[in-house]
Amino acid sequence: MTEETPFRHESIWHMIAAPTVWTLHFAIIYAITAVECSKIGTPDLARLSILGLTVLALALICWIAWRAWVQWDYLDDQDYVHDKPTVEARREFLGHAGFLLSIASAIGVIFVAMPALFIETCL
Amino acid sequence: MRGPAVVLLPLFVLCSCDGPQSVLDPAGRDAEVLATLFWVMLAGAVVLWVALNGLIHFVTRIAPRPLNARAAEALIIGGGVVVPVILLSILLAYALNDMPRQRDKGEGLRVEVTGHQFWWRVAYWPEGAETPIVTANEVRLPTGQRSEITLNAERVIHSFWIPALGGKTDMIPGRETRMSLEPTRPGEYRGQCTEFCGESHAYMAFGAVVMEPEAFEEWLEREAAPAVEPATEKARRGAALFLSEGCGGCHAVRGTAAEGQVGPDLTHLASRVSLAAGILPMTEDALRNWVRDPAEFKPGVEMPGYDHLSEDELSSMAAYLGGLE
Repeated sequence: MTEETPFRHESIWHMIAAPTVWTLHFAIIYAITAVECSKIGTPDLARLSILGLTVLALALICWIAWRAWVQWDYLDDQDYVHDKPTVEARREFLGHAGFLLSIASAIGVIFVAMPALFIETCL
Repeated sequence: MRGPAVVLLPLFVLCSCDGPQSVLDPAGRDAEVLATLFWVMLAGAVVLWVALNGLIHFVTRIAPRPLNARAAEALIIGGGVVVPVILLSILLAYALNDMPRQRDKGEGLRVEVTGHQFWWRVAYWPEGAETPIVTANEVRLPTGQRSEITLNAERVIHSFWIPALGGKTDMIPGRETRMSLEPTRPGEYRGQCTEFCGESHAYMAFGAVVMEPEAFEEWLEREAAPAVEPATEKARRGAALFLSEGCGGCHAVRGTAAEGQVGPDLTHLASRVSLAAGILPMTEDALRNWVRDPAEFKPGVEMPGYDHLSEDELSSMAAYLGGLE
């Protein structure tokens, strides 16, 4: 893993990738629902878009979570204390944090999309 | 003894939450749903609160020894992630499930309410009506049916809320919003503007009266009729003053020369439960004080004061207005 991506131990971007997907998911469906409701008047297309974007966001988050899990490398040494000033501890800490943030982001994405499941009108 | 008192105190506070403007004392279908939602959410919150504090009590007082790593991990992941996610998911799904019902279409009667600074124009459109029956500062609804409410605002944003009957909806200038209400229990309730709209926002309320369908029909018929003639000599003097002082430039009293549309319609003023949008009782005293200086009760009101009139003239005016049943 370290050979493939040698910079991951010093990049926090990987750690916050999942919350970024959650943010974009929220912002985009907020905008398209508003636009579709005002231009078309029925939310059918908006609900479909929300479904599509939610599936996409969850797939992305799953992929990010998998990469973070690999970076954490938990099964190798079952280590979740990363307090050494070493490349390995930094890499595993960022992977660990990224993995937990992926879980939070997946829950966030699902909660954001849930209203579209129940609410069938624009107003 | 302190313990039980602290636990019971909030219960007494909650038990006193009845009255004409309480979400916990519902008189309509939508308000019942919202009240149930509140109690369910409160129950969920109490369960979480007791569990969390019980846990703190357990680990600090009852068994203050270190847990083994596996138990600690189970506690953190189970108590910190799994249980809250499950609880929140259930509560969210339950709340969302109720939301579409708050948007049901009304049938039959439509009531059009327009927010002004700081009063409400209320127009009733019975099914098939071509012209509305216009009144102000009071919303009356029949039981047993879902009435459509359409909402507008004249200059600034207001929000329409009758807590005993349902949720609130914003009124936005240039855009019609809607809601519907299905009252179940006849009675006198109170509505309130719930979006800050200027100096007298807090004084922008209204009476909300729920009636049996037959009583409502009779009331609406009376409301559609022109104003009654002043009955006494004093009231006739008041009626003449009303016109000579120019009140009719802003206010309409149907059946007379007063046809203004700027302020509230006064055709059946005295049959309303309150004066000045829910802030004064409908008495001749209050009418006299209001006409003399409206800004004393409602800062920023557009109606000018008539303090140049003598007390005798103000009394005549109050007698006239107080007779407009």
